[in-house]
Amino acid sequence: MEPALTQQKPFCIIKNLQVLFHGKPVLQDINLTLTDSRIIVLVGASGSGKTTFLRSLNRLNECYPGYSASGQVELALSGTMENIYQAGLQITELRRQVGMVFQSPNVLPVSIAQNINLPLKLVTNLDKKKREERLVEVLQEVHLWDEVKDRLKTRASHLSGGQQQRLCLARVLALQPKILLLDEPTASLDFKASGRIEELLLELQHRYRIIAVSHSLGQARRIAGKILVMKEGRIEHLLNKTQFENSEMLQQLLEEVL
Amino acid sequence: MRKRFDLLIYSWAWISTFAVFLTVSCLLWFLLSRGLPTIGKELFFGDASAWEAISGQVRVWDALWPACVGTLSLVFLAALMAVPLGVASGIYLACFATTPFKRILSLSVELLAGTPSIVMGLFGFALILFLRNTFFPDANTSLLLAASCLALLILPYLIFTTQAALESLSDEYRLIGPSLGLSQLQTVFHTLLPASGRGILGGVILSLGRAAEDTAVIMLTGVIANAGLPHGLLGKFEALPFRIFYLAAEYQNPAELNSAYSTALVLLCLTGILYGSALALHKTLEWQWNQH
Repeated sequence: MEPALTQQKPFCIIKNLQVLFHGKPVLQDINLTLTDSRIIVLVGASGSGKTTFLRSLNRLNECYPGYSASGQVELALSGTMENIYQAGLQITELRRQVGMVFQSPNVLPVSIAQNINLPLKLVTNLDKKKREERLVEVLQEVHLWDEVKDRLKTRASHLSGGQQQRLCLARVLALQPKILLLDEPTASLDFKASGRIEELLLELQHRYRIIAVSHSLGQARRIAGKILVMKEGRIEHLLNKTQFENSEMLQQLLEEVL
Repeated sequence: MRKRFDLLIYSWAWISTFAVFLTVSCLLWFLLSRGLPTIGKELFFGDASAWEAISGQVRVWDALWPACVGTLSLVFLAALMAVPLGVASGIYLACFATTPFKRILSLSVELLAGTPSIVMGLFGFALILFLRNTFFPDANTSLLLAASCLALLILPYLIFTTQAALESLSDEYRLIGPSLGLSQLQTVFHTLLPASGRGILGGVILSLGRAAEDTAVIMLTGVIANAGLPHGLLGKFEALPFRIFYLAAEYQNPAELNSAYSTALVLLCLTGILYGSALALHKTLEWQWNQH
């Protein structure tokens, strides 16, 4: 486990970030410094660039055709701040350190154990015994161990939606990331399963820096330490807890934006 | 109005499905009723004993055994050439090719898919003529040539189905590999291929069936009626679809025509077995992916 995260030091500094797809700007003039170690939640209308923003932090936008970008993103990865867009940066290592969980649970079509073991085997150089230890550790971390310990070799797709999403989270945590990006992690889950994921995120916020996109304001207020409000590819507001706990003020702001 | 329209669509869908089922059943019943009575040891091995025929000690005349072996070796050889090539091309088109190049490649695959099988046969035949007049005066139509032309024939099926299976995966699913820090190659082999295995296998099965049943290609490239067991890669051979064609076209008594039906039944069973073993292979692969 990592030591408790310091509150003051910035872990993400973004300067003049612009992202275009096929020449059309999706993100513009993003200037942002994030210091908080609590969960940062992105909200905004659909198409406001939330997902693109998230993917610019692990350079996943580059997997799409027509991508181009300018600006600078610095992340605190191995102690010091590093520009993740610098030439020569090992992109696979960046993505290991900046883990991502997607909207719908995307388990691999293999067993529960293999879902965690396969990326570990491909990305790290841990031996079999270490990998098995890590497997137990992360499944306990996402409170899935008791539910699956007797059927680790069954297909992951047989799990419920909420369990699958926790497995996806465990798969990312097994790679020991520094930052977690969550793209509407509860969007496809029912009320109860969403609640469990939210509880889990509140636990994990002490060990990882978490940036999450949320489609629900209620959820944002329950889990966020800060809320980033996005509109048409720009960051409109950065609200801290006292600001968004004042519901009138929040309502006003959001009406203006959404 | 709306309800009536829905009912119409529903009945149409139901009738169409039933018609397919009915057609297949009729076909099967017809084949079974005409072919089944003549199926027996004699159909496969003629006058020879089964063991002597299978071990190749005795030459089998007027029976199916050489044609069965011929068709199996044809399909095996064609698959050996086409499956690795086709699946790899499909992977390349779906995961690696850049847009302008991809367009040219896709067009050429479509052209290949649109080529009638008789043209593939002619191509093989012309190749032999060319070789005879130039480098190899002894070149002749053979098992190897027929299998190569068949491989060319089934190549586009393999490419299309592999490409389609990979491209039908959701955008989010394609991002799993990269988001976990896997390289592009690792992503393809460890996340995308296992997820599209069923689709790719479907393509392989389809193409094996296609290779087993095609007559036009082999007619011009080396099949003959009474070749016996295939004599190596460069020898002539017999094949089931050609035997059906030959028997049905030139039968001299009702018994010979009936043996054409039973040959068709055997071909059907053979492709069934091919499908079955392909499925079994898929199950084994799935099992392997699940191991540590």
